[in-house]
Amino acid sequence: MAQAYEAVLDAERSGADVSGLLVRLNDAAALLSEARMAFEVGDFEEATRFAESASEVGYEVVDDAELLEIEANNAQVHRSGRFLVTSALGVSTVLVASLLGYEFFKRRYYKRMSKKSSKAGQL
Amino acid sequence: MKFEDYRALFLVASLVSGVLAASPALSLFVSFPTSGESFSEFWLLGLDHRAESYPFNVSVDETNGPIYLGVRNHMGSSKYYMVYVKLRNQTQPLPDGSTGKPSPVPPLYEFQFFLSDDEVWEHPVTFVIHYTSSQNDSVVVHYTSINGVRFPVNSSSIWDWERNGFYYQLFFELWLYNTASHSFQYYDRFVGIWLNMTVF
Repeated sequence: MAQAYEAVLDAERSGADVSGLLVRLNDAAALLSEARMAFEVGDFEEATRFAESASEVGYEVVDDAELLEIEANNAQVHRSGRFLVTSALGVSTVLVASLLGYEFFKRRYYKRMSKKSSKAGQL
Repeated sequence: MKFEDYRALFLVASLVSGVLAASPALSLFVSFPTSGESFSEFWLLGLDHRAESYPFNVSVDETNGPIYLGVRNHMGSSKYYMVYVKLRNQTQPLPDGSTGKPSPVPPLYEFQFFLSDDEVWEHPVTFVIHYTSSQNDSVVVHYTSINGVRFPVNSSSIWDWERNGFYYQLFFELWLYNTASHSFQYYDRFVGIWLNMTVF
């Protein structure tokens, strides 16, 4: 069960949606509790049956968690690539727009200044 | 305004726009600390699902409850919890809050469950206690049934002169699975109710 939980945690850290796995883990945990309590009261047959069922679910969860982790990691790689491309395009656009804007503004500024100074000269 | 002032303004606006445009990529490398404290809530509610009307006077072989045991995960990630149900007399120790050690009383029942962040677990608990009085100066609990599962107890309690009765405490300890040690550890939280076993 602990192994299954740790596999689910790894998947969760990778950004996978583990809610479905947690539901199954809860079923397995309930079976494990039943097994321990049956063992405590001496019902070893029931304890074994519950423990085996819990273990089966646990192994299934480990496999599914590993798959989810791989999918989440792949999705993360794609998302990172998309973010990098978007940012590169955005920064390039800002850079070009800034340079063009700066040139345009500079020309307009000096044109206005020369108009002002020529008006002052006429007066 | 001079041209140099306009230029500085232009530069600042361009830098801010550049940072905004780069924010998707920056978010991959910069992580912000999560706000708030990590903890787990642990509660016990009475018959009406409120913090009152807890069972107190316990008759022999009578079903008590349900009382409602609850946990909420505020730890920031999925957690693996266990709750031990224990019954102690007045002389047996409770968990030690100063050292964080659990009570040495053996557990009767246990709940194991997983909670994702901010998820709530709540479970009803009913119990039956079978006890007998011995010469009017002590009571022996022979067994306890919790949620229909019967456990041998064999624990005696002497008359409590301060409170005039035979008292036991049904209490619940919260344990949390530690991925570093690969084992459950007592989370230093417990809740419980006192039970008066003077009524036969």
